[in-house]
Amino acid sequence: MAVARAAANGAAADASRRVVGRHLLVAPALAVLVVFFVLPYLNLLVISLMTPSHRAPYLRVLTLGNYTTLLRDPFTWQVIWHTLWIGGVTTAISLVLAYPLAYHLARAPRRLRGVLMVLVISPLLVGVLIRTYGWMILLQDTGLVNQFLRAVGLRGAPLMYNNTGVLIGLVHVFIPFMVLSIAGTIQHIDPELEFAARSLGAGAWRTFWRVVVPLSLPGVFAGTILVFVLTVSSYVIPSLLGGFTVLTVPLLVVRTVTELFNWPGGSAFAILFFVISLAVIWLYVRAMGRAAHLS
Amino acid sequence: MAQITLDHLTKRFGDAVAVQDLTLELGSGELVALLGPSGCGKTTTLRMVAGFETPTEGRVRLGDADVTDAPPEKRNCGMVFQNYALFPHLTVEQNVAFGLEMRGIDRTEVRRRVGEIVEKVGLRGLSRRYPRQLSGGQQQRTALARALIINPSVLLLDEPLANLDAKLREEMRFYIRSLQREFHITTLYVTHDQAEALVLADRVAVLMNGVLQQYDPPERVYQRPRSAAVAGFIGLTNLIPGRVRARAGDRVVLDTAGGHVSSLGDASLREGADALLSIRPEHLEFRRPDVSPEDGRNRMRGTVRERTFLGALIDFRVDVGRDLVLRIQGNVSAPERVGDIVAVSFDPAAGWALPRGDG
Amino acid sequence: MNLAVGLVYAFLLAPIVVVVLAALNSGAYLRFPPEGLSIRWFVAFAHSRSFTRSLRFSLELATVVTVCATVVGTMASLWVVRFSGRFRNTLRILMVAPLAVPGILTGIALLIFFYAVGWEKTGLAGLIVGHTLICVPYVFLITSAVLIRFDRTLEEAARNLGADAFKTFWRITLPLIKGGLISGAVFAFVTSYDEFNISLLLSGVGTTPLPIELFDYLRFSFDPTAAVAGTISIGMALVVVLITQRLVGLESLYLGGG
Repeated sequence: MAVARAAANGAAADASRRVVGRHLLVAPALAVLVVFFVLPYLNLLVISLMTPSHRAPYLRVLTLGNYTTLLRDPFTWQVIWHTLWIGGVTTAISLVLAYPLAYHLARAPRRLRGVLMVLVISPLLVGVLIRTYGWMILLQDTGLVNQFLRAVGLRGAPLMYNNTGVLIGLVHVFIPFMVLSIAGTIQHIDPELEFAARSLGAGAWRTFWRVVVPLSLPGVFAGTILVFVLTVSSYVIPSLLGGFTVLTVPLLVVRTVTELFNWPGGSAFAILFFVISLAVIWLYVRAMGRAAHLS
Repeated sequence: MAQITLDHLTKRFGDAVAVQDLTLELGSGELVALLGPSGCGKTTTLRMVAGFETPTEGRVRLGDADVTDAPPEKRNCGMVFQNYALFPHLTVEQNVAFGLEMRGIDRTEVRRRVGEIVEKVGLRGLSRRYPRQLSGGQQQRTALARALIINPSVLLLDEPLANLDAKLREEMRFYIRSLQREFHITTLYVTHDQAEALVLADRVAVLMNGVLQQYDPPERVYQRPRSAAVAGFIGLTNLIPGRVRARAGDRVVLDTAGGHVSSLGDASLREGADALLSIRPEHLEFRRPDVSPEDGRNRMRGTVRERTFLGALIDFRVDVGRDLVLRIQGNVSAPERVGDIVAVSFDPAAGWALPRGDG
Repeated sequence: MNLAVGLVYAFLLAPIVVVVLAALNSGAYLRFPPEGLSIRWFVAFAHSRSFTRSLRFSLELATVVTVCATVVGTMASLWVVRFSGRFRNTLRILMVAPLAVPGILTGIALLIFFYAVGWEKTGLAGLIVGHTLICVPYVFLITSAVLIRFDRTLEEAARNLGADAFKTFWRITLPLIKGGLISGAVFAFVTSYDEFNISLLLSGVGTTPLPIELFDYLRFSFDPTAAVAGTISIGMALVVVLITQRLVGLESLYLGGG
């Protein structure tokens, strides 16, 4: 009983110390995120309202000039549109290619699924740069694909330093994200539903369209948004595979900040594009919502 | 001095009240069963004793020390969890030794004591095994050994037999009881199985919806339930509504749908009060309706509505009028059939009237 | 159906296989049929001052970042899974946010921010900060998944037997979530090692991670020395994935469902 008695005495003080102690756990993460993530982004917003200068990164004079310059320049809109277009096309192609993979993966027996997951995730860990390099080797004029085409008697095709190369690279890099999104959802669809549909007379194709696809839409939804966002943010691929002909927003923003040293202009452009992407996604979400209502 | 004292314990989770003003005392060496249906607050109560839940109101005392604010590791309770909670990455030996290591006992002593108790609970040869390599019964005994080796002041058991199959459950029941007696340790045993509670406990605390219904030795809970809820929960019973017509000493006379009935009754019943007569199926007997009633026994007339073969017994439902159906269990040779007019007879001392409207 | 799936997998793996082949190819250009096997490019890589220097730098950077990200991320996930109460969803989103915004933007934001607060020569420290920022989410996601599955009654049993909060964590919780921690750590390591976007903006003279070195190289030359760097990355990626699969199962990375 002495043990319990002694315990009762120090107990109340312990209790409040315990509560504070546990909340300290999140302090480091919170500090890092607030100081090095939230603040810098807020700062970016502020900088976008500063005046560009030739002698310093920026002058501490508030102005909306950066935005107005951008909004009035047709070149800005060209680049924005082009980036969004690339985003859309990449997302669409990724969806088509990733879906069969996702279904196959989700329905695979345990053992095989492990192997397939390794195959799908490993490319992600190899890094964008290396994979892009691989595509350079494949797609150049003297690259493997053209060697093959010429070997079978066809003309070589320009697969690099243009939109085609960039699209191929982007699709390749972001397919795993689409696969993971969709596969996760399909795995939660009870296989018994497909069996039930088949037993009621629906063929494999019909079952797929009427049962699996509708139920997998949340994953498709999440995946398309994810891939779209990642694509329009990509720097390495348009840079290496597009040469100087394909100009996307990230490329232009980096160039504005690091080569032209126009920090306010670059920030404004980045924020403008961020807002536009959000708008595009919002429209997409609404359209999907309406479609869901109609079906 | 009471070994465990629960003093007006109340536990609220938001708006929901899990335990309401519970006051209970356990004496040294007693095994008390905390019995009730799922969700009645018994596990919450146990967890408050162990220190994993803090009471919203009330105090917990172990011996003469108030431990309400003490953390679990300082309370010296031995606890066996429902899923055993054996550390999967430690062997049986290491699991059992854990509590002693926490108390800083030296290695040789730990090894000696572990060896002793492993032998005692019949786990010899299994010390190096991991929990996943043990059967359910073996895991159970490991959990018990782990809890008992630290010489706790009290033993807390949370439905320890729930995960075992029926036969093993019966064996383990007696085993736990004998261990508990041998160690002479005050034990609080949570269960929803009323048969288990009646077999094992020195006293049974019946908890329903967070409120203590009755706290008595098993026979009393069974034969003299304090409320309809308790009567209905423990074993099978017929509950016959009636009104108290007269009362004398511990006897009452009731007006029921089946006629006048006399029985023993709860002291709180007054003349004119609404009551429920609890009479268990095993105390009801059939008589021939044309033969005159015996002296001193109650009698009702009715028609057999259902007859179900249960193996060792036959279950009858008899309609004695105005929506009152009695359940009777007779042995296999009972001749009564569906549709027969019968008389149902019972000894007044076997009936127990309780106040109606008690929670 | 299976054929289609196979083709897509081939598409996924093609550039990776090609890089390894190029590194082992005896010729300067990868031809089909391949000219022959050779390790001359590995030798060239080992002799290249700039490559070996940046390789070492990347490895050192990744090690430091891994330690920081693992500690910060694990502590955060403990809090979020167990003590966060009504802040749970907000914190979850915040912890994963660095992954949701373009890395290149984060790099720019950090660059400009450091200047704004007067931190001129950010060097290694700046890179550590930037990398940790994007590695913590991975550690967080993986350890959260493991912690959610963790049986809390084991901790209760330990406390009941006399272990205080610290001893319980050290003797019971930690050994049992070890797998998740290791997986998170190796994921963080590889992420930092491969990180490009943030490094592009924050690296400087003498603090150049391998991916940046590679990028500069690739803009102008094309010989397979770069492919050797690629092969090293590929080898690392395989090891990490296999470790994670073994310890934790890759299913914790499902993004849309589970």
